[in-house]
This record gives sequence, C-alpha cells and structure tokens, in this order.
Amino acid sequence: MNTTAIVDFLNRVITAFGIEAAVGVEETADGPRFNITGDEAEVLVRHRGEPLKALQHIVDSSYGRGLEGEKRVFIDALEYRKGKDIELRQMAKFLAQKAKDSGLDQQLGPLNPYERRIVHMAVAEVSGVTTESIGDAFSKTVLIQLRK
Amino acid sequence: MSTTAARGVRAVVEVLAKALADRPDDVRVVESQHKQVTLVELYVSPQDIAKVIGRQGRTAAALRTLASTAGEKEGKQVTLEIREGR
Repeated sequence: MNTTAIVDFLNRVITAFGIEAAVGVEETADGPRFNITGDEAEVLVRHRGEPLKALQHIVDSSYGRGLEGEKRVFIDALEYRKGKDIELRQMAKFLAQKAKDSGLDQQLGPLNPYERRIVHMAVAEVSGVTTESIGDAFSKTVLIQLRK
Repeated sequence: MSTTAARGVRAVVEVLAKALADRPDDVRVVESQHKQVTLVELYVSPQDIAKVIGRQGRTAAALRTLASTAGEKEGKQVTLEIREGR
C-alpha cells in the first residue's frame, strides 16, 4: 500500500483546514502510523478526539484496502491517540489483575473495535484470565473474568 | 465554474469526498449561508452515494464531524447535506 498517497491526502486536509501542521510517518509491525504535529493540530483532538476518529474512518474507507494481512493504518495528531491507547492498555491490565486477585468479573467499555482489540491483547498477557466482548452494537463492553 | 476553494469548510468537505469517491471529478460542494447556519451541500455521482454515506451512515457522520470542526475554526455552525449529482 502507498503511504505517500495517505501523506498527500493528510496534507491536503491540513491545507483545507488552513492550519500549520506537518505529517510524520512511522512504519510499525501493525502498519503505518501517521502523526500530525504542530500547535494548530490541536483542533483535531478537541471533543475527545472525535475529529481524529472521523479522519481515521475516512482514511480507512478511502485507503484501507490493499493492506497486507492484519495491518491497518493509524491516524494520530500530537500523539493524542497513542497516549490514550497506553492508558487503555494499563487500565486493561489493571482490571485483569483485579479479576485474578478477587475472582470477580470486571468490565471495560463501551469500546469500539479498535479499542477492544487493545484490551484483548493486553489482557492476554496476564495468565489465568479471559476476555469476551458482550453486546451487539458497534461499541461493545469487554468482560474480563477468571479462566474457569 | 468549479474553482477549488483553498481552505475552509467547503475545501475540507471537497478533499474528503474526493478521496472517498470513485469518481472524484463529479464531486461538487456548494456552501450557502442561512442566518446562523452554514449549509454545505455535497453532490456526488449516484454510484458514489453509498461510499460517501457508509455502513450505518458512519462515513456521513465522519464527514459531518470534520465539516463541523472546520466550521468551528471560522465560527460557523455547519449543516452537511449529501445529494446525488448528475
């Protein structure tokens, strides 16, 4: 897949917004990560990062195909989502430990598919606990429980 | 005449819609002011309507979010309508 096409697209979006910002790319095992930097990129992280999520969705629909295997494109600004993901990972591991220690089921959510994936993978690193997504909407809750 | 607006709500919607559409040349964006509300009409080829709206209207919602974000910067309250163009 062509990361240059995505960088060009993001630059066109930035120009259209009329903000001073730059696009950085980092290739990771999970796929390319694009981070928009510059003080004015702050407009994208307002309202709990809603504009950023919207931009991610549009990039997925426009350029998401043609990625090999499980790779996916990740759009960030000022490393906002990166920070959020780290927090979510920590919370997931904390709750997994709590489930293990107390034997009580723990819930985390509602989360979107991307966020749930982070939780499932983080909890998988803790032995003796399992995860399951419950609910039937786009957003579901992840149930963390002691392995029976 | 279809000059491309360099920046602003119209430009943002146009850039996004052109990326989504299979027929980007048929994308047309019209902006008009109605009292406090800025109406942005996005015209796309009939074959691109589904792509621009998306499953459960998720793409349309994403377009509205970003149109509002762009409007916020200019103090505009934006309404986005998706229409079938010729």
